[in-house]
Amino acid sequence: MKSKEKVAVKKYKSKLTFGQKVWQSRVLILMCLPAVLFFFAFNYMPLPGIYVAFVKYNYRDGIFGSTFIGFQNFKFLFSSGKLFQLTRNTILYNLAFILLGNVMAVFVAILLNELRSRKFVKVSQTIMFLPYFISQVLVGLLVFYLLNYDSGFVNGVLGSLGLELFAPYSNASVWPVILVIVYLWQQTGYNSVVYFAAIMGIDESMLEAAKVDGANGFQRIRYIILPSLKGTIVILLLFALGGIVKGNFGLFYNIIGTNSLLYSTTDIIETYVYRATLTDFNFSTASAVGLYQSVIGFVIVMVVNFIVKKIEPDYSLF
Amino acid sequence: MKRKMISLLLTSAMVLSMMSVGMTASAEEETTDYWAGWEDVDTSEHVVINYMTTGDKPTGEALDNLNAMLDELNAILTEKVNAEIEIYYIEWTDYLSNYNLTLASMDGSVDLVGSSTDWLDAWPNAKNGAFLELSEEMLATYAPATWANVSDESWEACTYNGDIYFIPEDNYAQWTNHGFSYRLDWAREAGLEDGVNSWADMTTYFAYVIEAYGDDLLYAWNADGTQYATMVGGWITSNTNYISIDGINSGAMWGGTSDDPYTIYSPYLTETDLLVEFAELMKEWDEMGVWMTDVLNNTDLNNRDEFRVGQVAAEQHHTQTWTDLCSDTDANTIYDTDEDAEVGFFYFGEESGNLVSLSVTHGVMAVSAASENPERALMVYDLLRNDETCYRLFNYGIEGVSYEITEDGYKTTPEDYDSETQNIAGMVNFWWGRNDDLELKNAEYNWDAIEELYAEYDEIAIAYQYSQFIANVDEISYMIDNISEIHTNYMKQIAYGKYTGTAEEIVAEYQQALIDAGIEEVTAALQEQINETYGLE
Repeated sequence: MKSKEKVAVKKYKSKLTFGQKVWQSRVLILMCLPAVLFFFAFNYMPLPGIYVAFVKYNYRDGIFGSTFIGFQNFKFLFSSGKLFQLTRNTILYNLAFILLGNVMAVFVAILLNELRSRKFVKVSQTIMFLPYFISQVLVGLLVFYLLNYDSGFVNGVLGSLGLELFAPYSNASVWPVILVIVYLWQQTGYNSVVYFAAIMGIDESMLEAAKVDGANGFQRIRYIILPSLKGTIVILLLFALGGIVKGNFGLFYNIIGTNSLLYSTTDIIETYVYRATLTDFNFSTASAVGLYQSVIGFVIVMVVNFIVKKIEPDYSLF
Repeated sequence: MKRKMISLLLTSAMVLSMMSVGMTASAEEETTDYWAGWEDVDTSEHVVINYMTTGDKPTGEALDNLNAMLDELNAILTEKVNAEIEIYYIEWTDYLSNYNLTLASMDGSVDLVGSSTDWLDAWPNAKNGAFLELSEEMLATYAPATWANVSDESWEACTYNGDIYFIPEDNYAQWTNHGFSYRLDWAREAGLEDGVNSWADMTTYFAYVIEAYGDDLLYAWNADGTQYATMVGGWITSNTNYISIDGINSGAMWGGTSDDPYTIYSPYLTETDLLVEFAELMKEWDEMGVWMTDVLNNTDLNNRDEFRVGQVAAEQHHTQTWTDLCSDTDANTIYDTDEDAEVGFFYFGEESGNLVSLSVTHGVMAVSAASENPERALMVYDLLRNDETCYRLFNYGIEGVSYEITEDGYKTTPEDYDSETQNIAGMVNFWWGRNDDLELKNAEYNWDAIEELYAEYDEIAIAYQYSQFIANVDEISYMIDNISEIHTNYMKQIAYGKYTGTAEEIVAEYQQALIDAGIEEVTAALQEQINETYGLE
């Protein structure tokens, strides 16, 4: 019976012309329109501009009037001998940010969900949310005044306790930890909102049924909440992975600045390009770097999506 | 097309009238009225000329004072050329990026553009099409006074492929060679009777002030991480006869010697022993505690003001800055709190007598290629630079409010003058058109000391050797970018003594990185271009 109905619907649908289909879905299409226009204007229309990465850009001749020079603008990136280190740093930091960021966000969202006092939830959510709104410049200063050797807060405490002073600004190895902590402090409150909302959307009756069946708090989290969040987690991960080659310039530049002692562990593609092209203002080189990052990002998303599709087709993006 | 025709007609009319003016003037021995020919220029439409300069936009009372001056100036400009001037600021934060970005937008938002071939990207922008080519006719017509007073040689230095791209500030005596301003009275206490005259003296001086005044000072020198290039450059100047080509990279890493300027090399690659010595000395300074431990992340960029009030003992900057620091001005309170206070200057190159005069293109004015009123922009510039009333208004402000002239012709400040809000020169930043014929000497300045040093400079300085040379770096820019980056990264560690391992190791690592990035290829390419420019081999 059911399959017959389906066939009937299919037949009916295929009889409609394109115009009729559009008319039938006019409300939905209209609702999509702002988003479609937005992406068309800001993401698709500028695409031909990629061409600037292949020319010697002259202000008066414009992008398409300038001389074509092939891959010469990419030379800068590949001849520095640092591309590997930069790409590695960028990807590793982003992996840490994405993985730990999501784990923390889910963890916090679950904790918030378990709280019974609504007032306390509101207050703690607000407090965790606040760092997200602090400008990166101030975060950079804050870190410096906490950690600097001569007059930093941390050394003030260590000094008065008679302990050995901490000198992070001349020790590259401690920065991966510090940067990840700063990132989590800033982003966790914000990221947890999505997961918190997803938990709120879980069917209350499932949880009640589990309760009746005698599941304790941990079991409810393990067997109901976490599996329900799986889809959200996978999709957010996939989105984040697309930008894995794009570094968080604001965070790194404001905290590390131009302290070259720390570059071995903290230099990412963005900060390197910013410094190297600051004195040689060059749109073309910058676009070449942008294109390199986009291509790598694209490849990574395709690969990960392919893998996800193999394992769990429902969760893949396309 | 129509505009072109009109300007052509006007030009020929102007040239004729100019010639006649010139003749009558010389006959009557009067000051030439350069601007007589402007009567024929069509200025019926009132226009606003936007003047772009680097600098932070004044706020509050300072802005009110600036606007008061501009109102008065614009009334004169409107009367003379039916134009008014507005200032477009490129704030100091990331100024080079914003400067270039504003020029690249080419939307006609700026007309007059202050520039420089050594500290702003004048040549790259000219080559990228940001600046209007200024024809001789145009200059003679719309900037007649400037055209008449700038020498052929100076115009030559502003010419690329046969076109003049900017107007040089070539009649303004200033020295921007770097060195250390220090407390001469303290140096004497340290046993340096003649003050600091070498890097070794500087070491003695720092050791003494840390010992004797360490508790009263923030640091001997509250340096920030940006001075590495000047430091090592100064060290090389002091110990060799190396002279650098401006405008290739910020480290000024290529050049020749004063004896043989056209054989190009990079001392950063060849002077290994010297660099090792430098690295060792800077480690010594670092261990003495001359600067803060985390100097590379220092965000307190007020060393100069701290020097003025006696919180630090040295300021590394150029001679022009020292002329202010050595003078008993309102801002320099060290002279009030300590009657023995004196400020001396140790300039890089003092030991070796290696000093190069400033290039005339250190400050230049260009006209944006997107300007809708380039003719009127030139006319405004010509008045600002050569008309006494306009010059003084623009550079000093309103007489009696922002400055006064003493009986013997010096500039001084009125009773209730406040340097925070009335320093007009520090708001208009007209570093591209100052003119010694109209400059007033500052009555507060310590002219005895300044003129003594200037006389010493005049004796030893040689002219900038590469004014005809504009490097074409298109093919090698990617190597230069990487070399600059390597130089910055290593020199920061070396110049503040922050490297790990020995001085020999870090210098060897640095030089190997330079070679890997192609420094030898760049040197060879520059040599080839120099040969071409100067017709060698």
